[in-house]
Amino acid sequence: MKILIVEDEQSLRENITTYLNSDGNVCESSADLENAILKLEDYAYDCVLLDLGLPDGEGFKVLNFLKEQMRDEAVLIISAKNSLEDKIKGLNTGADDYLIKPFHLAELKARVEAVFRRKAANGNNNLVFNEITINLQGRTVEINGKPIVLTRKEYDMLLYFIANKGKVISKNAIATHLWGDEMDMNDNFYFLYTHIKNLRKKMLDANCKDYLKSIYGIGYKFLSE
Amino acid sequence: MKLSAHYNRSNIIITVSVLLAGAVIYYFAINYIIQKQLDRDLTEEMEEIVSYVASHHKFPVQPDIDEEQVTIKETSLTNFKTVFFNVPFKKVINDDDDNNGRAVEMLVSVNEKNYLLTIAISRDGTEYLVQVIATITLILMAGLFLVLFLTNRYVSHDLWKPFFYLLQQLKAFSVSDHTNFSYSKTNVDEFNELEAAVLLMSSRVRKDYRTLKQFTENASHEMMTPLSVITSKLDILIQDDSLNPEHYKQLQDIYGATSRLSRLNQSLLLLVKIENNLIDEAELLELQQLVFEKKEQFQELITSKHIIVTATITQKTITASGHLLDILFNNLFSNAIRHNIDSGVINISLTDEKFLIQNTGSLYPLNEEELFERFQKGKKSEGTGLGLALVKSICNVYNWDVSYSFISSLHTFQISFAPGKESLLTFNAI
Repeated sequence: MKILIVEDEQSLRENITTYLNSDGNVCESSADLENAILKLEDYAYDCVLLDLGLPDGEGFKVLNFLKEQMRDEAVLIISAKNSLEDKIKGLNTGADDYLIKPFHLAELKARVEAVFRRKAANGNNNLVFNEITINLQGRTVEINGKPIVLTRKEYDMLLYFIANKGKVISKNAIATHLWGDEMDMNDNFYFLYTHIKNLRKKMLDANCKDYLKSIYGIGYKFLSE
Repeated sequence: MKLSAHYNRSNIIITVSVLLAGAVIYYFAINYIIQKQLDRDLTEEMEEIVSYVASHHKFPVQPDIDEEQVTIKETSLTNFKTVFFNVPFKKVINDDDDNNGRAVEMLVSVNEKNYLLTIAISRDGTEYLVQVIATITLILMAGLFLVLFLTNRYVSHDLWKPFFYLLQQLKAFSVSDHTNFSYSKTNVDEFNELEAAVLLMSSRVRKDYRTLKQFTENASHEMMTPLSVITSKLDILIQDDSLNPEHYKQLQDIYGATSRLSRLNQSLLLLVKIENNLIDEAELLELQQLVFEKKEQFQELITSKHIIVTATITQKTITASGHLLDILFNNLFSNAIRHNIDSGVINISLTDEKFLIQNTGSLYPLNEEELFERFQKGKKSEGTGLGLALVKSICNVYNWDVSYSFISSLHTFQISFAPGKESLLTFNAI
């Protein structure tokens, strides 16, 4: 996947690049509007990560540019503004998703993949990872060709893990993904443990390889092979 | 009372008292002058008689002028000072109608005999004068009342028109919309000045409001960006294979603190936004649906604590921000669960007038006064301490009344949707 990151905060830009690159993606970055539009004029990307508050103007200009040029880049807005107005404006101007800072890189990765999949679906709604096949439209999962029944949270978690395969994901990131960040973390960690235990058991029962590794004290890792 | 009425009242009081005082002074002055005149007349009459007596050595026959009554009495007095005095005056002898009169009494000696001579004249003329003065004063007062009334009714109404026009616009003023004040053309300096001041004030208020909104957004941006840098650094850092469990423990604590800081920041900004009325989105919401969804959302927590939930929910639609109501119910539900005991109870009730949530928990009532303040939280609470402050602010936005009470060992939070109406009902019941 070819991704353009438009974000003025240098260390955040670098972190996103590092995290996304390790999965075979190619990331380019731009710190301001002008540069972003220059890049978009010359190259095509699969996905654009767009911060709204940039030093030389609002990120909406990039959205307008893409709309005028009838481009089909998927756009994910990453903004510190938690305002409904901006969210609606962004989504109406052609953005595909809206992520509020601060976010976990795992969440960003999962969203980028989801947005990209939606754009590039072309009738193929199946996500295949080794023996696991996920039907995204029907929200069903097959392992070795046999369907397994997952609860909503287990399904969400599996997608999240596959998007971040090979990475250590913190408990906080998973809990925020499943419950939002308004709820108390300590309560959620207990439920998280139960959900992961159940998911792992269901997968093992279907003769799936044991991908889920617990990383002591911090979180989980979904093996990439 | 209206300003014009105030003005009129003092005007009337002053005018009437001045008129009355004037009438009294006038009355006494005229009385005094007339008395002087009468006394002069009497002196003249007296001198005539004295000169008559001096030349003729006898009293004149009864006077030819009928206005005077002269009485002559023989007396043994040898020394008598001439006096003037008021007497009752009868026009006809034996007349029942007593009029006021003025008389003079003096000693006259005729043929070595002393006589007491009294001359009296009527004061009818002066009485009449006083009546005329009183009538004129009364007519003047009545006229004054009428004029002031008419002025108040018609003239001042027109005069105050620009003021009421401005007042109407002030009542409709809102910082968030951009309709400007329109001028009413008036040549009253005070009103022009007032209009200019109001215009200046409104533009300043709107400017402050915009600055505040910008500040809120900037503060959010400025704090969220470093927070997201920390979070992403942590996300990268935990990928490192060389970390040992002790490191992980430290990192987990940083994660916890960061997420708490970001939640705190979000809540604070939200609180500022609500209190400055920066959230004005509104939609029609099915409250019973919302309550039901919240119950589902917290189902895991409820089940894990073996809490029994009873809900009596009736249909209720409300116009409010869905986002705010979501936060409101999130806080109330999560409090009711978090501060509950194992195998406890939660009662939820939604009627047309109020929403009620009760839960078991600590055996002692909470301090209601401090409860809704910012950063008030229980010792064991993991929250931000802003939850109930947010609940209160949200209720304030919609003029709802939120209260806490401890009813039969249940911590009860109640939101009255129409607090005014309800107190009226209670009043009627009493």
